[in-house]
Amino acid sequence: MGETMKRRIIGFLGLALSASLIASACGSDSSSRGRNAVSTDTFASTDTLAIPGTDSGTPTTGGTIHILSQLEQVTHLDPQRNYTGSDLAFAGSTMQRTLVSYAFAPGSDGSQLVADLATDIGTPTEGGKVWSFTLRDGATYEDGSAVTCADIAYGTSRVFATDIIVDGPTYAISYLDIPQDADGNSKYPGPYTAKADQQALFDKAVACSEDGKTITFTLSRVVADFNYTVTLLAFSPVPKAKDTGEKYDMTPVSSGPYKIESYEPGKSLVLVRNENWSKASDPIRNAYADSFVYEFALDPAVIDERLIADAGDDQYAVGDGGLQPENLQTVFTDDRFKDRRQDDYDPYVSFTAFNVKTVSCVEVRRAVYLGLDREALRTAGGGPYTGDFADGYIKPALADDYAPSKLPEGLNTDGTPNVEAAKASLEEAKTKCPDVYAKATVEGLKFFHPDTPIWQKLVSIWIESLKAAGIVIKPTAVEPSKYYPTVQNEETDYDISRGTWGPDWPNASTMIPELFLTTGGFNLTRNGDDPAYKQFETDTKAALDELDRKAQGKKWQALNQFLVDQLWSIPGTFTKAQDLWGSKVGNAYRWSSTGSFLFGELYVKQ
Amino acid sequence: MSAKVDTPLFYSPLSYLRIALTTFIARRLLFALVLLAAVSLFTYLLFALLPTDPAALTCGKNCKPELIEANRVRLGYDKPIYEQYVQFVKGIFAGRTYGTGDVAFTCPAPSLGYSFNQHECVSTLIGKTFPVTAFLSLGAFILWMLLGVGTGTLAALHRGKWQDRLTSVVTSIGVSLPTFYVGLLVLFSVVIWLQWLPFPHYASPTDNLHDFLTAMILPWITLAVLSAASYTRITRNGVLEAMNEDFVRFGVAKGLKNRTVIRKYVLRAALIPIVTIAGLDFAALLGGAIVTESVFSLPGMGRLAIRSVTDSDLPVLVGTTLVAAVFIVMANTIVDIIYGILDPRVRLK
Repeated sequence: MGETMKRRIIGFLGLALSASLIASACGSDSSSRGRNAVSTDTFASTDTLAIPGTDSGTPTTGGTIHILSQLEQVTHLDPQRNYTGSDLAFAGSTMQRTLVSYAFAPGSDGSQLVADLATDIGTPTEGGKVWSFTLRDGATYEDGSAVTCADIAYGTSRVFATDIIVDGPTYAISYLDIPQDADGNSKYPGPYTAKADQQALFDKAVACSEDGKTITFTLSRVVADFNYTVTLLAFSPVPKAKDTGEKYDMTPVSSGPYKIESYEPGKSLVLVRNENWSKASDPIRNAYADSFVYEFALDPAVIDERLIADAGDDQYAVGDGGLQPENLQTVFTDDRFKDRRQDDYDPYVSFTAFNVKTVSCVEVRRAVYLGLDREALRTAGGGPYTGDFADGYIKPALADDYAPSKLPEGLNTDGTPNVEAAKASLEEAKTKCPDVYAKATVEGLKFFHPDTPIWQKLVSIWIESLKAAGIVIKPTAVEPSKYYPTVQNEETDYDISRGTWGPDWPNASTMIPELFLTTGGFNLTRNGDDPAYKQFETDTKAALDELDRKAQGKKWQALNQFLVDQLWSIPGTFTKAQDLWGSKVGNAYRWSSTGSFLFGELYVKQ
Repeated sequence: MSAKVDTPLFYSPLSYLRIALTTFIARRLLFALVLLAAVSLFTYLLFALLPTDPAALTCGKNCKPELIEANRVRLGYDKPIYEQYVQFVKGIFAGRTYGTGDVAFTCPAPSLGYSFNQHECVSTLIGKTFPVTAFLSLGAFILWMLLGVGTGTLAALHRGKWQDRLTSVVTSIGVSLPTFYVGLLVLFSVVIWLQWLPFPHYASPTDNLHDFLTAMILPWITLAVLSAASYTRITRNGVLEAMNEDFVRFGVAKGLKNRTVIRKYVLRAALIPIVTIAGLDFAALLGGAIVTESVFSLPGMGRLAIRSVTDSDLPVLVGTTLVAAVFIVMANTIVDIIYGILDPRVRLK
């Protein structure tokens, strides 16, 4: 038993006065309890591949990877309902294949498109309004039946059944060329209730060639990165005969290298090898481990402690929710953990949105940015581990689209407030936009925030730091579950709100338009009447229509700078997350396309 | 001509007992039904008053108002609360069907509803989780009763001596420690640091007795040690009080052995208040040992209940509340009956 462990035990026991638990503790043989020894039979031999990544070792097959989770179950295993990074990475790398995926590689390589069920990454015609994908031969489900074009079309059609297939991405509804009724709802209600004429509308938009080798998506407008869209599992195949609607979440059919052996929410999900999966038909999955055991409903403190102790089966374990703040200091200052920890960006960017209708003066918005004590806010939220100060809305992980931005003059890069610069900007506002100036300095800016303990702390920093610059903040706390519906409601009368957003795929096309176009899914800025909006809209549409990925990236970079200049919103942090994993887990890198472990590629170290 | 029915002028004592017992049980059952109806209605009303919006909680990333409204319809929260309640009551007797077309499914009677979060009928969820809680409660209950009554009696019989003083110190610590703290302490020490036991993975005793025992032993100890502290104090006081009663003195004066006096006179009297508390404690535990189940990752009813609260999952919330209420009512009834057995003075009053 190590000294650290001894100290930990003695401290805890002493504190608790639990004499009954004090005993001669040494001598237990942890290794003998491990139930996860690497098998040396079926897959043992020589299946070794050198892959790039954080490991210098060579992946080996066999063994069981454990995933420790505080959740009661995987949020969604139904592919059309799966919409969280961790679940997409888990299901997508183990059980569910799509037309196109991302390279199974660490770093920015993990954002590169690769063909999966298709033979290439898609062919656009009509300037990106029609997309075709040729299907690969040999892909099968767990029962050995072939994955067909009709299954992909059927899977996609399920997205339209919005009374049953909920929580998932709805790009199929937004993009496919299917007429809408007067209320803006699709005339196709999904496969469960569609009449023949309604089904025909869908079949026209998503068509299979006669030989079943090619699937074609006809869109209502140009979508230059539609091949990124189909990486979402919402476009993955579902065999109609196996569809159980609402209950498919529990029993999805596998087309990948693993299948469900048992699934008990609140307890565990066990995946074992799918004997009908063929590596020859799957160019991207390596499927090193023999099985995966997802352990649910664990206390977060217990997960951390198990990973820190690194004993028995926990040597083969990863957590799916990141480390608890109280353990960060221990893990990141102790060299024992240096080979099995990471502190890296997750996919999200936090920001503060202005209601541009009521705070229509860029000088006032700039004064808020300059005068806000961002460092104090970050410290109260957990310090540098929570993230780096953002210089825009595109994270460096989106390598094609990111370029450093030029931030407003006078902004302190360390996040501390520049009161003088803020006051100077307000002084400009006094003459340029006296109404907004009066609102900011006398009446007060209405700041809507979630009613959570952390926000009770943060809002006082907002009030105090901006008071020094002469800006008055009037906070309104909103019940957390109602926060986003409230600030997304056009009727809500706020001046400032908060948000966090991550791209749905590694392209700024799901960041900038979503956050700042009036038709975007998460525009909190109400910027439609701003004089600069027309230019922004034109430039954004040009970027969206650009088929050349490099040229598109340049356009996003320019738009990102445009947004930083307009300050319809203040960039917050490029958020980060920290992980620890067992000492015998290989390939434990964060997959940049989802921001979580690439679970299916984890392997047991010999 | 109908047969003449003889009406006895007098009932035998046994008949009196039978009639009284039947009336007692009938009254209890009627009371239980009314109580359960009130509990379920109250839970519905309380849920309607909560500030949390369950439709918003089940909404994904693009949580626009129209999607929230669609979710509200899907979950049935768009209807007035009384209509939701009527549907719920109807489901108990007739079952309920959800969805349409080929993918429709039914939760058969007695249906307590369907959890859209867990994709399962509530009665099925309760059926899966209740045995875990029952095993946990029963094991812990036996342990704490043995420990609590045993040490309490020992302390009383050695009043003022070191055994009594030691018991007093230990019970003071026991009653002041929170369950989550002791649970984590035990788990971290025995499982994670010392590795004397593997991490608990619950299995049914019929499937895998070894896993069952290794998963249950620490939760049993945790619950038992904490509860036993209170029971030790109650037993000690009860025994000391009983030892001063006239009937105990009479027993001693009759020349009965000490052991007989303690077993037949003292403990019998001292156990009356303990039975009341134990019955209610046990019933409450059957409704779910929330903290213990959470710390030890036991898939029991307590965790099911707490999850229904955090998810705003009304059907599960009502279902678990009702089951917990059933146990409380049952326990009250059983306690009343045992009271009568232990103390002839209160029998059939």
